[in-house]
Amino acid sequence: MNITKAGYHGILLPELNIGFDYSGTNTRYTFISHAHADHMPRNRQSSVYCTLNTLKLMQRRGFKGDATVLDFGDSIETDKARITLYPAGHILGSAMVYVESDEGSVLYTGDYRTPPSPASEGFSIPDQVDHFITEATFALPIYKWDSHESLGQEIRSFASNSLKNGYTPIFLAYNLGKAQEVMYLLAPLGHQVQIHSAGYKLCDVYEEAGISLGNYEPYDRDTCKGKILITTRSALNNGFASNITNKRIAYCSGWATREATGKQLTINKLIPLSDHLDFFELIRLCEELNPQMVHITHTPNADVVQHYLDERNIESRFLDIEIEEDD
Amino acid sequence: MAEHSFHQLAETAQQINETRSANAKISYCSQYFQSLGNEEDLNLAAQFLGEGAFSSISGKRVTIGSRTYSTCAADFCDIDYEKVFKPCKTALGSASEAIEKLMHNIEAAHKKREPAQLSLQEIESIYEEIHSVSSRADKQHILRNAWKQMTPVEIKFFIRIMTRGSLRIGFETKNVVAALAKAFQKEIDEVRYAHMITGSIGKTAVLCKKKRLDQANFRLFHPLPFMLASSIESRAINNLDGYIAEEKFDGMRAQAHVSGQQVKLYSRDFNDSTHSFPEIVQFFLTKDLPDVVLDGEICVYKDNEILPFQLLQKRIGRKKPSKDIIEHYPVLFISYDLLYHDEYPIFEKKLSERRNLLTKLSQIHNLPITNQFDVEDCDHLNELFERALAHGNEGLILKEVDSTYEYGQRRKSWLKVKKPGGTLDTVMMYAHADSGKRRGNYSDFTLGIRVAEDERYEEEFVPIGKANGRYTDDEMKRLNERIKDLTVEKYGPTLGLIPEIVVEIEFDDIQKNKRTKANYSLKLPRFKAIRRDLSPEKTDTLKDVERMYQQNIDKERLKQEKNPSFYIKQEDPETSTR
Repeated sequence: MNITKAGYHGILLPELNIGFDYSGTNTRYTFISHAHADHMPRNRQSSVYCTLNTLKLMQRRGFKGDATVLDFGDSIETDKARITLYPAGHILGSAMVYVESDEGSVLYTGDYRTPPSPASEGFSIPDQVDHFITEATFALPIYKWDSHESLGQEIRSFASNSLKNGYTPIFLAYNLGKAQEVMYLLAPLGHQVQIHSAGYKLCDVYEEAGISLGNYEPYDRDTCKGKILITTRSALNNGFASNITNKRIAYCSGWATREATGKQLTINKLIPLSDHLDFFELIRLCEELNPQMVHITHTPNADVVQHYLDERNIESRFLDIEIEEDD
Repeated sequence: MAEHSFHQLAETAQQINETRSANAKISYCSQYFQSLGNEEDLNLAAQFLGEGAFSSISGKRVTIGSRTYSTCAADFCDIDYEKVFKPCKTALGSASEAIEKLMHNIEAAHKKREPAQLSLQEIESIYEEIHSVSSRADKQHILRNAWKQMTPVEIKFFIRIMTRGSLRIGFETKNVVAALAKAFQKEIDEVRYAHMITGSIGKTAVLCKKKRLDQANFRLFHPLPFMLASSIESRAINNLDGYIAEEKFDGMRAQAHVSGQQVKLYSRDFNDSTHSFPEIVQFFLTKDLPDVVLDGEICVYKDNEILPFQLLQKRIGRKKPSKDIIEHYPVLFISYDLLYHDEYPIFEKKLSERRNLLTKLSQIHNLPITNQFDVEDCDHLNELFERALAHGNEGLILKEVDSTYEYGQRRKSWLKVKKPGGTLDTVMMYAHADSGKRRGNYSDFTLGIRVAEDERYEEEFVPIGKANGRYTDDEMKRLNERIKDLTVEKYGPTLGLIPEIVVEIEFDDIQKNKRTKANYSLKLPRFKAIRRDLSPEKTDTLKDVERMYQQNIDKERLKQEKNPSFYIKQEDPETSTR
């Protein structure tokens, strides 16, 4: 099976005429795994295959092209292959692309999370994979996530303790996926949430998909005091809630594992809530699938993953694809 | 959980780390101090949080390299040091934090550890034990056994305290002082004074608890903490009113205690260095001094010239210098401050008052003291600065005349004005990736010096230093694009580059360093400019470096005649200030 990278973004299966998260025009079938900027087609007019939720989210973020919607579990057949989408557990709509052909099978993960984000369609994976093309964003053994249950608890107590002590809690979370996951985890508190506009416009897609985000409204500078606020780091640096003096800030990201992150960003609380799987889950999954070849993408530390896979007699190689800053 | 356990201390430190407000940090720490029932625990707790494994005045320290404990930790976790540990450390920018996380995450490490709630005393004995052995294997053996009984957070702080770096929790000694004051309802000034006198935060803590701060008595032959200067660039100083200038010697900072027939010299890390400088001891003994503590600088002084630090190095650390050495490199103690006089410590007096007393003392007993200059304006400052350099000194120290002598603090009271040691045109050899969030970006660079025509080397360039080239984002972006094109090899986070980009660097000093390929290293190298106008063949050579090193040693030095850096007998004040 020939698997190549398409520049710094996207992966191609040239013989099968298939591209994954690919922005060019050299393939007949392009599959988009999810609506984060580093995976969406750069060309807004592209013609692609994706899930309905991914399409809706992409459209709200400016995508104008054609998309053929494919449900999880449904397949399309080309003359050389059969393609099926599997839920990736990363954000709403996120899919892994499974390709079966005479040359063998390929699973392209895009970004994924197992155990899945509770604000996603879940996670499931085919039994048999020859070529496993996996992201490895958090590919070091310093990254090991707590359960969603305890992270959710941490998020809720941060919010309620801040409110109790007269502070306005602010969660820094990427505006697609993490923001909604945090809202979903906060929903049981029943407290009013305000979310930055870039994230707000994506929330109804979640609601339509049956994921309740609680009691929320768009951010309003004049009324945000005493609400639970959700925004991004860049918005916070550009005056978001700058009129509120008593606030406490939590940063929700896999990168929050690093102590230095808190100091760089002047943050009160680091909550390592990631929408990627951790290192140990990655190695375990490779062991379970035991594919002919693991193709590692989206990581500065492919060497470390390869070292662990070598020890387990699993063949691997690095497909050098740049990774986006936001988690 | 036992209050006196090291675990409790580590958890407190972690809580302080996770808190942003300075007051809240102080509260947590003071509550912890209050919870400690016995004095020995309080002593150790304050010492661990404020000073390190051993009390500063003990002059003792645990000597252990990061490689020793890092390889030991990798081994403990059953992971490969090069392939796994190092990238983890790079990603976090901290070996101790990487160790904490790995100890927590990795099953193999979990199985070996059985936290035993070690007491503070037990931790102290472990530090003692490490201090008492010298081989890496012995140290690692002790570490392994200790870690088996600790939690990951304990291990992290155990390492940070041991290596005596900062605990990296945003809590410095002055905050520990504030926490003690709060815990035992004392005035901060009172606690600070006791700390200054005792030189020990642990002892200070115990005195606080016993309500005996007034018993903090200064004793001769117990070194006082040194006051330090900050660089003038780091402080916004608009106005030099109220400052005087002294020349900054390129010597060894020292504190002299003199009483009767006894003289002791202490270095900045409180080590007793008396034995290295017998002629200074002799000098003080012949002066018939009252009991005094002097702050000053030891310099090699010969034929009316202050000679470079490189020559003083032949004296430092030598247990018993030979006659020959003493003859070749005679040293002098030049005083610039008086800390104990007439049976009282006087560090709380203003500089101007201390100086008056020092001047009188020097007149009566013929002690060499620095020359002080009033600073009139910028031109005058430049004139003074140039003359200091001509004398072979590093530059100037500006001192606030109304300031008291305070331990450690690098504030505005003392400011150093220094000139860069020189510049070199070098070539970028390696680019090092930033860790964490900025990764993918390269702003640390190993710079090479040309050895292409040097018969001693086979390569074209050898590393001479590493410097950070953080520019504006735009420039950084351009540079990073260029680097991509020049990359020929990749070693994890490091890129090997075709030697193309010429960088002019600035540094403070050149030192001999046998552990480097070039045999020389630069003190504080930093970017001055990217020289697009220079080709790599036009850069400086190792021979240039050697020449600069030698020139610095051989350089003509202005004799100590007119307007000297220091004087022994008071001159007419009119002429000495201009």
